[in-house]
Amino acid sequence: MTYTTFNQAQFDAIKEPMFFGQNVNVSRYDIQRYPVFEKLIEKQLSFFWRPEEVDLSTDRRDFVALPEHEKHIFLSNLKYQILLDSVQGRSPNVALLPVVSLPELETWIETWAFSETIHSRSYTHIIRNIVTEPAQVFDDIITNEAITKRARDITRYYDDLIAGVSLYHQFGEGHHTVNGDNVEISISDLKRKLYLTLVSVNVLEAIRFYVSFACSFAFAERSTMEGNAKIIKLIARDEALHLTGTQHMLQLMAEGKDDPEMAEIARELKEQARQIFIDAAEQEKDWADYLFRDGSMIGLNRDILGQYVEYITNQRMAAIGFEPAFAIKQNPLPWMNSWLNSDNVQVAPQEVEVSSYLVGQIDSTVESEDFSNFSL
Amino acid sequence: MAHIIKILDGFSFIPRKELTVLEALEQQDVVIEYQCREGFCGSCQVNLIDGDVTYTTDPIAFIPSGKILTCCCQPDSDLTIEIPGGCRVKKRRR
Repeated sequence: MTYTTFNQAQFDAIKEPMFFGQNVNVSRYDIQRYPVFEKLIEKQLSFFWRPEEVDLSTDRRDFVALPEHEKHIFLSNLKYQILLDSVQGRSPNVALLPVVSLPELETWIETWAFSETIHSRSYTHIIRNIVTEPAQVFDDIITNEAITKRARDITRYYDDLIAGVSLYHQFGEGHHTVNGDNVEISISDLKRKLYLTLVSVNVLEAIRFYVSFACSFAFAERSTMEGNAKIIKLIARDEALHLTGTQHMLQLMAEGKDDPEMAEIARELKEQARQIFIDAAEQEKDWADYLFRDGSMIGLNRDILGQYVEYITNQRMAAIGFEPAFAIKQNPLPWMNSWLNSDNVQVAPQEVEVSSYLVGQIDSTVESEDFSNFSL
Repeated sequence: MAHIIKILDGFSFIPRKELTVLEALEQQDVVIEYQCREGFCGSCQVNLIDGDVTYTTDPIAFIPSGKILTCCCQPDSDLTIEIPGGCRVKKRRR
């Protein structure tokens, strides 16, 4: 079935499944099959922020003062975040909009992807503030082997789904010959690709991002690069909402009331989905090797970050009903939670808790010469 | 009416009635995960073994059956909960 931007068929929008039903026509939010997506949209809109609101002037000084190996940790972490948000700013739209079939979910996808673009803009804001040559940072993302390796794992499920859906919209279901190759196109197959894509997106937002947040906050724990930490707090608040969105989607699929075939597929692919979590955790631990190759920093090293990867992976697996994969039970970075809690985001530098107030600097001795300038 | 919160493999206590379950646990120095503290991130979930809760904020997070979101609910009866990873108490700094 070819995609149409305004489906002229008459159907009851409330009865459509989340994906692979009728193309959405009227964007209406008065009646919804799944009100949770509307709530997510409202929440995300209420979180709207602009990167320029956050003052980064102290970060410039802080960055210059960092030792070389910590500059490497900071910039590599930032490059990885840029990669993740670059992908997330476009892929939910490109991959999911052509197959979504509920207006509230369609709009949530657009709102979600839009908020990721704000994150991308904030990274440019950070880089402009701390390095004189932004191109050096951005260009390295494409040439750096350690980073491009991550990109492959992150994009393959999206790319696979996009390619499959393109063929489906062109040729419909069945056996076809495309550019001399035999291809089998079926909606069931696309549903499988969709399910795995959503699992990998959930892993990206709920694990990969959080591991990068740990690095950002580790700097702030030592009262350096605090402007960056404020931005990361705002980003983390958005990501919590996004991961809730994918958790709901995965759960609705697994339950079966949305689309019984999807429940079958979720059961069939459970092991593969579980493996996506475990593989991502291993990749994140390998990445930690690269981050700390020139030396670790106070509060964070390869081992502790590795433990955090395992801890957060367990949490996220349990949240969607998978058995945890690792033995660790305690959060090795308990200070993360207060950074992640964004209640107290204060963008003005003068309101930051400054630990450098001078103490005991008042000279309270008084001599008679001090009054020499007074006259009555 | 004061309700008792019992933590499996832990201890029981009576929380102050204006506190959410999360705040009550924190007041007892129990180690518990949280992030948003307003019902949309899902980090603060615990297993509800017995009892009822009322939500003070409409939660948006996905809550699997058998679990409660501690940051935005209060006990409606005596509760028995199980904390994922076990019940751990922070060492109080003196």
